[in-house]
Amino acid sequence: MCQALALQLDDVPDILHNGQRHRRYQREGIPELRFSFDNRNPELPVIYEGQFLILPWGNKQRRARLPVTGWCAVEQLEAGQWQWLRPDAVTIPANFGCEKGRWFLIEAGVRGILVQDDSGTEHVYLLTEPATHYYEIMCRHSRMPALIDQRI
Amino acid sequence: MNRLIGHLDADCFYVSAERVRHRCLRGLPCGVLSNQGACVIAKSYELKAKGVTTAMPIWDAVPLCPDAVFVKRDFRWYKVLSRRMYDLICQRSPAVEYYSIDEMFFDATGWGWDETRALQAEILHGIGVPVSIGVAATKTLAKLASDLNKPFGCFMILTDEDRRQLIRGIPIIEVTGIAKRSARKLEQCGITTCDQYAAAYPRLIRKLLTVKGEQLLLELGGVPCFPIATRRTTHKALARGGSLGGATNDPAKVAGWVYRNMERLVEALDHHLMFTEKLTLSLQFREGGGLSKRASLPEATAEFHALAQAGLHLLEFCWPRSVRHLRVEYMHVIANRLQPRSCWQRGLFKAKQTDSRVTAVKQSINDKIGRFALRTAATLPLVEMYADDTNDYDICDVYGKTCF
Repeated sequence: MCQALALQLDDVPDILHNGQRHRRYQREGIPELRFSFDNRNPELPVIYEGQFLILPWGNKQRRARLPVTGWCAVEQLEAGQWQWLRPDAVTIPANFGCEKGRWFLIEAGVRGILVQDDSGTEHVYLLTEPATHYYEIMCRHSRMPALIDQRI
Repeated sequence: MNRLIGHLDADCFYVSAERVRHRCLRGLPCGVLSNQGACVIAKSYELKAKGVTTAMPIWDAVPLCPDAVFVKRDFRWYKVLSRRMYDLICQRSPAVEYYSIDEMFFDATGWGWDETRALQAEILHGIGVPVSIGVAATKTLAKLASDLNKPFGCFMILTDEDRRQLIRGIPIIEVTGIAKRSARKLEQCGITTCDQYAAAYPRLIRKLLTVKGEQLLLELGGVPCFPIATRRTTHKALARGGSLGGATNDPAKVAGWVYRNMERLVEALDHHLMFTEKLTLSLQFREGGGLSKRASLPEATAEFHALAQAGLHLLEFCWPRSVRHLRVEYMHVIANRLQPRSCWQRGLFKAKQTDSRVTAVKQSINDKIGRFALRTAATLPLVEMYADDTNDYDICDVYGKTCF
């Protein structure tokens, strides 16, 4: 799947630099923001209606009446199983993705969906699809993130 | 004016090529993965510094460098940049040898430090790839000079003293053409470094390493023996194949791979305007071991149907029904005894004619739409392989290289 994403600080709007200290990381001296589902309150960067936002990643803490996961299978979405949540398509910007400790390049971002819980709070789920043979060997996982204009 | 030869070698070329189009990779430890996504085939200097070596599996590389970013190979893109480098050197030099995808020899007669550094800077700023350049009187010295001054090195050997300093104490294994076995033979005679090799008795070297070894000795001494080859010498054999992308004992898939590799082999034969008289099929099994069989064809041919039938025939011998439990992991088809189409020996017996119009239609469609757009239906079981465009282009599809 995709347990974490990283976005280089240069690609994050300046206005959002503050308040992100807890996810700042230096990869060989190059600053980036890391978004991991392992965090207690995981969040993801999202581009929605032209805006760059940072929103809760799925429903890990079971605080909302939403699927208790951080991912949504493309097949389920297409089958209408998420229709009751009226999901909106979003782009999750990222430079790198990580699964089982293996970081891989993300060229244009990952597809995601944005849904609202009962209180109107927005949550984002990362879309996944069956892994290609290449990804499966590389990351040892049968599912991979739904990458935009990219095939691993 | 003394003749000079330049050797240009792109620094960690595949990684540099990825950095050209993905700026976010610059400065980071980065590895390019093999066709199956398992092994590191190229590494950045940052990754090398962590102890990651070429051909290391990703699962061994990650503990050494948890921050490393891994990228899928894209030989199509690497070829684009490689050709750009080649074209740029062609503008500066009257003779250029396309040695490999990331290495080129060129005539640098009359060049000085300024011209050499200017070429290096032009490639970096114009194409985005850092290169190391060595210039010397011979190809062996030029290559040694660029290899020993990586990354982004620039070194000229203009005097005999420069040459002596370059080769002094350098392990003989650093010389291209001296492999481990040759190095062992030399070691038994007390020759372990380049300077010892250059000072050795030529007849002894010829006895140990044939005339090739003697030529290397002369080259290290500054006497040119290997000219710049602007055209590749004629192939003695052509091979296509590799990993099956996961071992399989599904007969339909294995047969599909025979067809797939044969399509690629025919393409190579067509490119080089060759016919083949003999065909070899070689298999390796996941459980260990392998089998290889060769067949003589009724007459020299590059006709797909004839070669595919021969390949399937060989498959019956390499992978008989009694061993069908063995999973095939690697397959190679090799065209041996090549004959140029301009001058070839016809068979004594008339070979069965097949309809070449089908092949012509297939080729014209693929020329227009794209490689493998129309392919034999026997390759349909290879769904996963054809789903990924990057599988359509491999390193051996980069033609014109004089080395590999």
